[in-house]
Amino acid sequence: MNQATFDKERIDPVLADMFIPPSSHDNETHLVASKCNKCGVYFFPKRHICPNCFEEGTLEDKYLSNEASIYTYCVVRAAPVGFDSPYILGYVDLPEGIRIFTMIETDNMDDLKIGARVRLIAGKIRRDENGEDVMGYKFSVMKER
Amino acid sequence: MREISIVGAGMTKFAKMPERDVIDLGREACIKAIKSSGVPRKDIQIAYCGTARTGQLLNRECGVGQTILLDIGISGIPVTSVGNFCASGSSALREAYLAIASGMYDVALAIGVEKLSVRKGKGLPLTSDGVTLLTALGFSPPAYFAEIATRHMYEFGTTEKQMALVTVKNRGHSRYNPNCQYQTSVTVEEVLASRPIVDPLRMLNCCPTTDGAGAILLCAKDLAWKYTDKPVDIIASSLHFGLYEKNKDMTTFNSDRASGKEAYEMAGLGPKDIDVAEVHDCFSIAEILHYEDLGFCPRGEGGPFVEQGKADIGGEVAINPSGGLLSRGHPLGGTGLAQTTEIFWQLRGEADKRQVPGARVGMTHTMGGFQDSIELADVASSCIHIYRQGW
Ligand SMILES: [Zn+2]
Repeated sequence: MNQATFDKERIDPVLADMFIPPSSHDNETHLVASKCNKCGVYFFPKRHICPNCFEEGTLEDKYLSNEASIYTYCVVRAAPVGFDSPYILGYVDLPEGIRIFTMIETDNMDDLKIGARVRLIAGKIRRDENGEDVMGYKFSVMKER
Repeated sequence: MREISIVGAGMTKFAKMPERDVIDLGREACIKAIKSSGVPRKDIQIAYCGTARTGQLLNRECGVGQTILLDIGISGIPVTSVGNFCASGSSALREAYLAIASGMYDVALAIGVEKLSVRKGKGLPLTSDGVTLLTALGFSPPAYFAEIATRHMYEFGTTEKQMALVTVKNRGHSRYNPNCQYQTSVTVEEVLASRPIVDPLRMLNCCPTTDGAGAILLCAKDLAWKYTDKPVDIIASSLHFGLYEKNKDMTTFNSDRASGKEAYEMAGLGPKDIDVAEVHDCFSIAEILHYEDLGFCPRGEGGPFVEQGKADIGGEVAINPSGGLLSRGHPLGGTGLAQTTEIFWQLRGEADKRQVPGARVGMTHTMGGFQDSIELADVASSCIHIYRQGW
């Protein structure tokens, strides 16, 4: 995706608070997590209270790292309405100690492996009832150098 | 705590039945359970009814149990709806068990029912209940179990053939169970050639959409002799909400391990003592994990366990002699008490051509449901009961 032309109007409202899409002054996409300043644990998406500390006001917003590695994956062939099959889902491990469920994309299915490096991007998730793209975040498998 | 016995059990045939409604299904299961028990209706003091999707699909959130009971001439007793994902029926049984164990009631009826075939999206996976965020990202239950399969294959060398063998075993059993939606055997080749759903899972690795109901009549053990000379005792009941954690090892279910451990301790038994088990084979990879989580084999050895015939009738433990969810289908709330009905028949020696020879101790295991979390994994409910011949 040409990150500079990302259409914010088309972001899925369900995902809107979870990430910052690229803009004219920052070409990167960012996942927004909560970090507890007492126990140091990250939570994604953001939480209202730290479930470990159970105290008000210990959470602050933090961007997560943009690179992760694949813990597991699957290739969806029988797709729910609005999703174009095949598409890839999986769990990826982030350096902040979080394993998250996400959509994954790749140019080459041979690169799709457990342990493969992936990078956060903004992009199309599905289509709405009018056939228009609905946007969100996902991870893209990085080319091995 | 008082000892508890099952004195009657009944279920409908499981199938897609467009002409029948949820009340009709529940009524048939209750009539069969009551008639098989010899318990007069006036002796039933309390009832629980487990359903998971009647609100979303049938516009009836409350009152399914009450309507069924009113239809068969039972009213004026406490009736409570139990919703607990795929374990709704099993959880209704557990509530009935606890009501008698407490000493407050002597005779209870548990019902589990669901009419799932009315859902939209024929040929597409059932979406989970209330997982808005996951669904927005393309989640479905088969995708979750496919992710588990990918990791289990990576860590332990589990193969698509071993997963197929779970289906082959359970569909083989289904030939002798007239209550199953599918009653024909399949080969490994047929499983591996069936339509891809979510790689590495194919159509025949997934349980079908189904309608059906089960019902169980239970009472204090010291009263069971009034009704039957072959009571089946419930010697353990355990239930856990998922034990969610970050960086979850997805090749095991924390909730199942906790429920299994508690059930074995309560029964004073171990995995080697179980002769027959009905476990939640919603997907073939799930049954492989259950062998491991319920202690029938060590971690990572679930694939060889089925491949070596250890889960067959006549193996180390007969797993899913009914045909399981893969053959019977999985009408959410209906599943748990169909499992208990099968174990009731097995321990009484009434399971016809699928009888597990010499079965004295049995287990049922029902699990499922998802929390709407991106970073925490497990299933939302895991319910286990252990049973023993009570005579
Ligand atoms: Zn904290």
